[in-house]
Amino acid sequence: MKKAVWEQPGSLAEAFWKNGIADIPIYDMHGHMGSHNAIYFARCEAPEMVAHLRRIGVRRLVFSHHYSLMGSFRNQRVHAITARFPDILRMYVSISPHQTDFIAEDLDQYDSMAPLAIGFKFLPDYHKVKVTDPRYEPVLNFASERRLPILVHTWGGSQFDGPDVMQEVATRYPQVTFFMAHSFSGDLPGAKRVADACPNVYFELTSLPGQHTIIERLCADIGSHRLLFGTDMPWFDEYQHVGGILSADISEDDKHNILYRNIEKLLGKDW
Amino acid sequence: MKDFAFFDAQCAIGAPILGNARGGETAAGLLAEMDRNGVDKALVAHANTEAAGAIFANENLLELIQADDVDNRLTGVWTILPAQCDELPPPDEFFARMAANRVGALNLFPVAHRWQACRLTIGRLMDAAAERRIPVFLGQRIMDGGWRGVFDFMREFPAATVIVNGVSLWGADRNIRPLLENFPGCHVELSEYWVPEGIADLARLYGAERLLYGSGYPRFGHGSTMLSIRHSGLPMEQVRQIASQNLERLLTQAQLV
Repeated sequence: MKKAVWEQPGSLAEAFWKNGIADIPIYDMHGHMGSHNAIYFARCEAPEMVAHLRRIGVRRLVFSHHYSLMGSFRNQRVHAITARFPDILRMYVSISPHQTDFIAEDLDQYDSMAPLAIGFKFLPDYHKVKVTDPRYEPVLNFASERRLPILVHTWGGSQFDGPDVMQEVATRYPQVTFFMAHSFSGDLPGAKRVADACPNVYFELTSLPGQHTIIERLCADIGSHRLLFGTDMPWFDEYQHVGGILSADISEDDKHNILYRNIEKLLGKDW
Repeated sequence: MKDFAFFDAQCAIGAPILGNARGGETAAGLLAEMDRNGVDKALVAHANTEAAGAIFANENLLELIQADDVDNRLTGVWTILPAQCDELPPPDEFFARMAANRVGALNLFPVAHRWQACRLTIGRLMDAAAERRIPVFLGQRIMDGGWRGVFDFMREFPAATVIVNGVSLWGADRNIRPLLENFPGCHVELSEYWVPEGIADLARLYGAERLLYGSGYPRFGHGSTMLSIRHSGLPMEQVRQIASQNLERLLTQAQLV
């Protein structure tokens, strides 16, 4: 019988299977923190999350705090949490279009949150505001001037952050690097359309690893050089998501691209 | 992975009504994926049971397995219906047929098949299954009322040997834990349980013997849950239990004949 994916000599899968960690950094570009209304999280605070991340060798988790996304927690407070684990945590400044006064203040204070803050997080499906709405413009302009990334929750079929509106905004702001969280989950043709039209767009994979053949199709249709690893931590287990990448029927180069090479090409190694 | 067996509790084969079988139309497709990932055996249901119905699915599942499974690596799951309509034989005969055809567990789709999952409809069959310790799959996605339907069913048949499946990717501990706490015959398959360090938490709280490796194929692949179990942080003895030994035990202890 042919050897299983976990037994391929010298592969990442073999290393992770044997040791639970490999000689590569993992960059998790989509995390959260804090409790959730609908889900019990046993480990949703920084110390417990960091312990889980260290086990598998995550070099950076970039997160947006649940409470700041939901409008009840200021980003400066998230910065203070991030600063307790500067060797592993980075933050996105959470943006709610319903709190324009907070946005103005966050942009004024951005320099005091950088470099632990590396960009912004939009959550249009939850805030029920299209990403093309003028209330996002101050942030988009700020990110464009400074060439900062924005992680945007995206979903197939969404009027707020589906492929059509994301293509529109990514075309309008070519200096912004957009990370499409969930890669328009459920709409691979839409993702491909945006990928073809917008070179400033990358596709983040939260909730997709583990779904049978989806990583293979994203690599084939969009290319592994446009994919970024993410987990929604503390929603999803790092081993589960890494396992979904490692066991996908893709090349070893594709796996390296997804787990760390692409983001190191974008942001470097020193951030 | 010769020192480490995996027995998949959650697979389906056959052509679904909405297509998108992702290679799982045949047992050969499933077996190839199992080989690629290092999975030894699998418990297999029919992927189109909800739409095609129990009668077709139970028969077609055997045809699909027998066409490709030359090494007997696959064990079937049959679907039950209310007793009053004579669509299935009486429990003893039904169970004997299961044994003769390498079928080891049961499932049910009361919403899709339009019946009430309660003692009035399947009491006789479920009591017999409980007495013989035949595993029955139960999930929030297929029950009327979702988790409420699962809880109601467990209250009606508290002695049943149950495998809760399809727990949903949104962490389901608020529903799983009460079931594990209150029903000793309740087990959970892990294909949709993606909670960080959650497998170890469940094992510590309720025992590793209550947890089963499942892939969720063809919706999900085999490898991701394999790695999360392998590196759950549990002692290797418990990892092996979850990977294969618990399901082996459940199928072995079932007294079909």
